[in-house]
Amino acid sequence: MIRRPRITQWLVIMLAAVMTAAPVLYAADQQQLVIYHWWTAGGERQAMQVIFDAFTKKNPSTKIVDNPVAGGGGITLKTVLLGMLAAKIPPDTFQSLSGAELKQYVDGDYVASVDDVWRAQKLDANYPAVIGKMTTFKGQHYGIPMNAHRANWLFYNTKLFNELKLAPPTTVDEMIAAAKRIKSSKPNVAPIAIGTREKWPAVFLFDVTLLSTGGPDVYEKFYTGQLNVKTAPEVRAALQKFKDLIPYLYQFHGAKTWSDIAGPMAEGQMGMMVIGDFAAGLLVQAGYKEGVDWDAAGFPKKPQEVFLMIVDTFVRPTGAKHPEATTAWLTNLTDPKVQGEFNIVKGSIAIHKAVPDTTYPDKLHQEASRTFKSKRIVPSSIHGVLAPPAFLSDWQDILTRFLYSPDINRALDEISSAMELDKVSDSSGWYWAK
Amino acid sequence: MAYTRAHALLFLAPLLLIVLVMYGMMAWTVAVSLDDWVGMAPVWKFHGLENFRTLLGGALRERLFTSLRNNLIWLVVFIAPTTALGLFLAYGLDLVGRAERVLRPLFLYPIALSFVVSGTLWAWMYDPDAGVINNLFRMLGLGRWAQPWIADPHLATFCLVGAAVWQYTGFAMTLYLAAIRDMPREIFEAARVDGATDVQTFRHVVIPNVGHATMIVVAMLILVTLKVFDLVWVMTFGGPGISTEVLPFFMFVATFRQQFVGIGAAVSVLILILAVAVVVPYAWWSMRRLAA
Repeated sequence: MIRRPRITQWLVIMLAAVMTAAPVLYAADQQQLVIYHWWTAGGERQAMQVIFDAFTKKNPSTKIVDNPVAGGGGITLKTVLLGMLAAKIPPDTFQSLSGAELKQYVDGDYVASVDDVWRAQKLDANYPAVIGKMTTFKGQHYGIPMNAHRANWLFYNTKLFNELKLAPPTTVDEMIAAAKRIKSSKPNVAPIAIGTREKWPAVFLFDVTLLSTGGPDVYEKFYTGQLNVKTAPEVRAALQKFKDLIPYLYQFHGAKTWSDIAGPMAEGQMGMMVIGDFAAGLLVQAGYKEGVDWDAAGFPKKPQEVFLMIVDTFVRPTGAKHPEATTAWLTNLTDPKVQGEFNIVKGSIAIHKAVPDTTYPDKLHQEASRTFKSKRIVPSSIHGVLAPPAFLSDWQDILTRFLYSPDINRALDEISSAMELDKVSDSSGWYWAK
Repeated sequence: MAYTRAHALLFLAPLLLIVLVMYGMMAWTVAVSLDDWVGMAPVWKFHGLENFRTLLGGALRERLFTSLRNNLIWLVVFIAPTTALGLFLAYGLDLVGRAERVLRPLFLYPIALSFVVSGTLWAWMYDPDAGVINNLFRMLGLGRWAQPWIADPHLATFCLVGAAVWQYTGFAMTLYLAAIRDMPREIFEAARVDGATDVQTFRHVVIPNVGHATMIVVAMLILVTLKVFDLVWVMTFGGPGISTEVLPFFMFVATFRQQFVGIGAAVSVLILILAVAVVVPYAWWSMRRLAA
């Protein structure tokens, strides 16, 4: 056997020692914030950087260890977190949505109360009451929300609406009337744009239908399992109206995603579409101008206009390794200046009342901010904000199937059975707790 | 230096570890499938075969049988064309001579692609409006052949199978090419001397001699059909409705999106049972045939 020179042996041993010790020494030397979130798309990434910069300015000695996990609404992140949390190696903070989605982490004892931050920042006064309700479980707050998306927008092609002298519809009936006009005068234009390849946009369309036929009270009751689906006339009526929309939908919706159809809508190959405010960012990026190519209106306006809300939230995991960093992070999120600057880039609106409507450069977000402050806020069903995530998954299957074979009785059976299996009523008690 | 039993164990250790982890995980999954685990945190509440009852006779029956039916469609529709095309191409490559060097990588290329990439590409091609398939039909004056493809609940699964055939043909071809190259050249020469055409050689010389390759190809493709997931996820997300759902997709959605972890584990146990039930008899049958 050949003997290796002694010096090499020593080098190898020392290298091994340094490599083992380095992470430990490094961690001891510097405060860290290990964060998991799903903001990876174009504008979202830059928006996150705004928060990071503000955080680093206030906490120069804390190093942010960023772990973005792609996947809209956090479906992939949740899979990753499930393993980490069960293995008891939680990050210092991670992203969730307020409401039923957040409740899952609370139920698993994976997140701790944030009441200290909530009180110190006077969020009861600075945030709308419904936000407090959506983060409160078992009498304590478990998340710090920082931005809201509005889900009930009706985007429409401005030139087409001007040419046909159509006013933006205010109810689903008016939407159907407008669709009829478009269909009769422009047979090549699909009146209502929708892409259901990823399924969930079908829920956006149904949600405005339910709001239009039943109003916000029925909406909240339906998604929290307070209605007897098989007998309640409101659910049947909403499904009937949803069925009436089908002949006017873009016929190949099953082959398209929502982002595939935003362009054709702005080009005038499709008339209008119901989707969240995030579509505005995509349209602007693609070079379509608000007020020239497209416009958007809150929808429906009757019987009552509401702000259908999706809330992004950060939490304090139980047993987080750097508790001070977590507190500093959560506190930073409640800063109105940070919220304002972040939301301009993110394409959502701030929820801190001190952020003025004029913060936002575009008409759509200014209107969103005004509506947020003046109209009733209703938690959206999407992504498991109001209804439990398990039901949402079944619900989008039921709705996309319905679009292909609109059998109301079968759909009612399916909804009722899914609500039972997914324990919608049992797990929605938090929403009705006083 | 003499190798001892200790050396052997040392070198086997990683393999043993992998095997242990794998069977450990399987046992763990079976244990979870017998529990009422709903939600993020582990719940070890034993409730026997309740999850299987919900799947086979309860609220999830329709969903399970839709997935099962789709897996069977995959089994029936995917394997035959992939195997046949693979064999056909392999023999073709054997005949073309030097062009093989260019053609072989060309046919092999699809298998090197991620399913996410090929799924996205095929979804674009199947697009009823802008997709290349319908537009090709329209250009050729065959507009009435244009279909909604993945937007049609009855056609969608077959569209997914089409993409998979494209992706796996190269794999089958490679195995067959190796099998053909393995055959003694004298057989081909003898056939030629006897005046056999290429088609006759293919029919009477090649096919009877590549049985072992067929066995491997078919067994691997059976496993592919049982674990197909990515293409469904990317191209249709199980839709329209649940019309293209397969068992692995159902398992993933139940476990991670709905957090019915017990139910999800029960579905994976069913997949395991299916895999064993399909592959083992097939392997046994084809091995006996080969031995005979």
